[in-house]
Amino acid sequence: MIVELGHYALVLALALALAGGTLPLWGALRNDTRLMAVASTTAVAQFILVALSFAALTYAYVVSDFSVLNVVQNSHSLKPMIYKISGVWGNHEGSMLLWVLILVLFGALVALFSANLPLRLKALVLSVQAWIGAAFLIFILISSNPFLRLHPVPFEGRDLNPLLQDVGLAIHPPLLYLGYVGCSISFAFAIAALIDGRIDAAWARWVRPWTLAAWGFLTLGIAMGSYWAYYELGWGGWWFWDPVENASFMPWLSATALLHSAIVMEKREALKIWTILLAILTFSLSLLGTFLVRSGVLTSVHAFATDPTRGIFILIILCIFIGGAFSLFAARAGTLSQGGLFAPISREGALVLNNLLLTAACATVLVGTLYPLALEALTGEKISVGAPFFDMTFGPMMVPLLIAVPFGPFLAWKRGDIVAAGQRLLFAFGAAMAVMILGLALMGTPAALALFGVALSVWLMVGSISEIAFRVKLGRASLAESWRRGAGLPRSAWGTAVAHFGVGVTVLGVVGATAWNSEEIATLKPGEAMSIGAYSVTMDGFVPLSASNYTGTAVRFTVREGGNVVATMEPEKRLYTVPNTPTTEAAIKTFGFSQLYVSLGDIGTDGATVVRIYWKTLVTLIWIGALIMTAGGALSLSDRRLRVGAPKPARRAVPVPAE
Amino acid sequence: MLLWIVMAVLTAAASLTVLIPLGRAPRVQTVASGGAARSIYRDQLDELARDRERGLIGDAEAEAARIEISRRLLNSEAGATTSSGTGSAYRIERLVAVIAVPLVAIGLYLFVGSPQLADVPIASRATEPAAEGSVDDLIAKVETHLAANPEDGRGWEILSPIYMRLGRFDDAVRALGNAKRLLGSTAERESLYGEALTRASGDVVTDEARAAFEKALKFDPQDIRSRFYLAYSLAQSGKKDEAISAWNALIDSAPTDAPWLGAARAELAKLQPTTTVPAEATVTPAAPGPTQADIAAAAEQTPAERQAMIEGMVGGLAARLDAEPADPQGWERLLRAYMVLGRTDEANAALARARTALKERPDLLTVVETAARDIGIGKD
Amino acid sequence: MTRKQRRLTLIGLAGIVLASALGLVLYALSDGITFFTSPSDVLATPPSPEQRIRLGGLVEQGSIVKETGGIVRFAVTDGKATVPARYVGILPDLFREGQGVVAEGKVDANGLFEADTVLAKHDETYMPKEVVEALKKSGEWRPEDGAAPEAVTQ
Repeated sequence: MIVELGHYALVLALALALAGGTLPLWGALRNDTRLMAVASTTAVAQFILVALSFAALTYAYVVSDFSVLNVVQNSHSLKPMIYKISGVWGNHEGSMLLWVLILVLFGALVALFSANLPLRLKALVLSVQAWIGAAFLIFILISSNPFLRLHPVPFEGRDLNPLLQDVGLAIHPPLLYLGYVGCSISFAFAIAALIDGRIDAAWARWVRPWTLAAWGFLTLGIAMGSYWAYYELGWGGWWFWDPVENASFMPWLSATALLHSAIVMEKREALKIWTILLAILTFSLSLLGTFLVRSGVLTSVHAFATDPTRGIFILIILCIFIGGAFSLFAARAGTLSQGGLFAPISREGALVLNNLLLTAACATVLVGTLYPLALEALTGEKISVGAPFFDMTFGPMMVPLLIAVPFGPFLAWKRGDIVAAGQRLLFAFGAAMAVMILGLALMGTPAALALFGVALSVWLMVGSISEIAFRVKLGRASLAESWRRGAGLPRSAWGTAVAHFGVGVTVLGVVGATAWNSEEIATLKPGEAMSIGAYSVTMDGFVPLSASNYTGTAVRFTVREGGNVVATMEPEKRLYTVPNTPTTEAAIKTFGFSQLYVSLGDIGTDGATVVRIYWKTLVTLIWIGALIMTAGGALSLSDRRLRVGAPKPARRAVPVPAE
Repeated sequence: MLLWIVMAVLTAAASLTVLIPLGRAPRVQTVASGGAARSIYRDQLDELARDRERGLIGDAEAEAARIEISRRLLNSEAGATTSSGTGSAYRIERLVAVIAVPLVAIGLYLFVGSPQLADVPIASRATEPAAEGSVDDLIAKVETHLAANPEDGRGWEILSPIYMRLGRFDDAVRALGNAKRLLGSTAERESLYGEALTRASGDVVTDEARAAFEKALKFDPQDIRSRFYLAYSLAQSGKKDEAISAWNALIDSAPTDAPWLGAARAELAKLQPTTTVPAEATVTPAAPGPTQADIAAAAEQTPAERQAMIEGMVGGLAARLDAEPADPQGWERLLRAYMVLGRTDEANAALARARTALKERPDLLTVVETAARDIGIGKD
Repeated sequence: MTRKQRRLTLIGLAGIVLASALGLVLYALSDGITFFTSPSDVLATPPSPEQRIRLGGLVEQGSIVKETGGIVRFAVTDGKATVPARYVGILPDLFREGQGVVAEGKVDANGLFEADTVLAKHDETYMPKEVVEALKKSGEWRPEDGAAPEAVTQ
């Protein structure tokens, strides 16, 4: 009964989404408050219904109800509980349900926590959300229904791809979806503004927290996915420019641009049309990401659902929403009023440069991702666009952007002084140069490119600290005074500095892991050793493994540095019993920010084992940097001025509609 | 029934979420977007003051910015409009809530849903006659083991009779073929292989099967199974006289209590309708291997029975070894069977029994010990 | 600066960024991409030793030879032609004889394919799209035995 109730709740959510998409829109056009008020109640109800539905599916997984086709295909009664639960969204149908759950969750949040949002804008935003929800609910119910039943009931499930049986992957899709779907809110706001023909600073302020949150989740999700690929696939690579990775990276680039242009919009009411366009673009890229992953037009590890009919369905959704949004944009953009003026050298100018470079970089990624598809469709010629393409295009676009980053916060709005900004950044520049020169002296010219990267990261990190140091008058006033000023700085200023610092950290990690990565491969028998860098790795012997759904062998290694044992590592080879699939689990040991990575090849009959060991310099900084960026975003989000619906200071209380 | 009641409640609640806002008295919106915008501009003015105090911008710029923000503040207030409900009857909208929403929901649900099916959590199925999956699981375990170690001939040999009993003859052919290839031909393997081939082709002794039987007879001219099927094949290919003499020879050489004797006589009777046949033979035909009836029975067996069948096979081997322990290959097979079935404890117990039973025969015990080490038992 | 000048500056900046992005893309597309080829293609028109290719097909039965130091020799076939390949490193878990494989690398002067990346199918029923196409072209595609022809994978 529970399963069928979940199914019915999903259908009912669709009916409500249709009502919630139509009535408030009609009300907004007729200026009718009662009809507009329907938006909020139905938005909350949709969330409750989809949540019920998701809970029902989760229940079916938890109790291993093999009368549900989806459970049979993706679960097994012997699977550990956590993977039973993550199995709910570890497959196409369940992940689409999760997608919609997050969509309606955000809709409900807008309905509940935007008390000071004008009713009309709110009604429009929620009805756009309801239409997106309705489209995806129809998609789920017609072509990807997770509630399909089986009779007679099979006795055992078919498990989940063992590659996907992993904690990292259990949280990676939800995070990414929170990001993708979060972009739908700024999209809905953009469409609402276009329908309404009005857009002002308040609009930007309402959009910004949603964009920030979506961006934060995307950052975390991408970092998580990258780390998952790094330790699970056993190649020691952390970014493959795989189309599916690109699919999540493009919305991130675009959301980063949107985040910055929304600031200009809020502070100066400039770049209105551009911001609207970016909001539409960001969500379009999220939809495209969903399409690329879900349709199977790309073959990659991640494409665990490959069904062209679904792809065509998503393509139709894509065309309706993106096409509709751009038509509306073309028709209404001209009616939006012009914003404030600014000089090319100004905070606005810097943000425009940021936007230009980010969107251009995003475009190069888009070309690299779609070009092979287009070429194959047009000429039948098959090519693959890999890392070399992106190194040649994306890299050069990033360098000027990263150089420019520290200047931005030092420039004033409207008209800035680049010389003054440069003077304030002298220390950062000096630090970067010192690192570069010291490095060249020690390592010589072959390392110049890598050292340039290190200098760039130092420039970014010290530059973002300089900004805060300048604003709190560090060294120019007493420490107490600096402390007071620091505490008085808006949190969004701290957020900016922290996020920019995080970019520097990630750049350092990327440079380190790319330039000073070493790799050794050898065939070892128990008792034999090989060395990598300063470490010597001895193979001790085999340890049999056995768990509820796999068996296998671990190989124990002892790592010594200068004769002292510093670690033991146990990479594994596993054989998952259902379906009968072998996997390799690498062993990773962190030393400082660097990592030793041991992966196994074939184990010969005589115990001779192919062993591949990587030394990854500073590799963890890549993900630590992403965490710092996210923390910056969260800090900025906690700025009370940005918190939509947060109670205002009493001294300028404004009447708020009692919603 | 409960399902329909809960569904009705959900539907009613959903309709209410549309009806309630429609029924509420129209509220005049006191603050349009201007209200929120005003607070933002005030924030901006505050920030401007902070920046000027900090010396981030000059006085002239600050003054210009202040004027600009103030102008926008005034604009936003001018632009703030209030809207009010029209107070119309909302007849169509109410109809949407009361009729369209339930209609869409129920209609679509009846199209995609399966309201007649109850939940079937795995826990509720433990109370079914037996965990049906377990036999399949055991087979799956062995199969998995073999997928990883396809060179394990004994594993294939253990699996093959199970396949036969379950009627998976093609799999049995493959398993026996592998066993033969890896462990070498014997009379028994060849004749079992021939039998599997025969079964797989719908009880027709194919040329390949006949070759296998003939090969078996080369190893052991008295092999009953091969002689039985060869006689059968003679009849099939229309060599009636030869078939009759083959059956007669087979029956004559048989001990009187041979279980297949009845089946042989029945086959003979088909060829010689006049021959008197003992009554019970026609009633209970029984081939050396499992018969069609056996297989049909196996297919219809309850899981408990199937489980019992596998238990029986392993148990039979164990019992035989306890009676005649001087069979190291037998012990190895038993240990392997326990291990692939995942019963480590019983494997260890069997190894202990072998050690006791073979105390006097160190040569045989060494073979068992070596095998046990290979399998991974008794490392301690 | 007048409003017009400011706008021109912005447009100019945008133009420079976009033009350089376009230039980079075009340059990279002429240089940084890899063509997918089948063993038949390689034998018919051998690629130059500098050109990276992506070779797809089946791992030929009985062709895998493992040498010390993680060197693996194998052959990629599409049923009509066979290209010998060499790879140093750890092969994917599902790299087996008779299975689909996609390898990236260069063909040296002796016709040996030096692979630097090897991708094998990721589950029992998955076959790289390019491999399917290549096999269809050479008439070797038998969907009914998409898995390995021998019993070893059962």
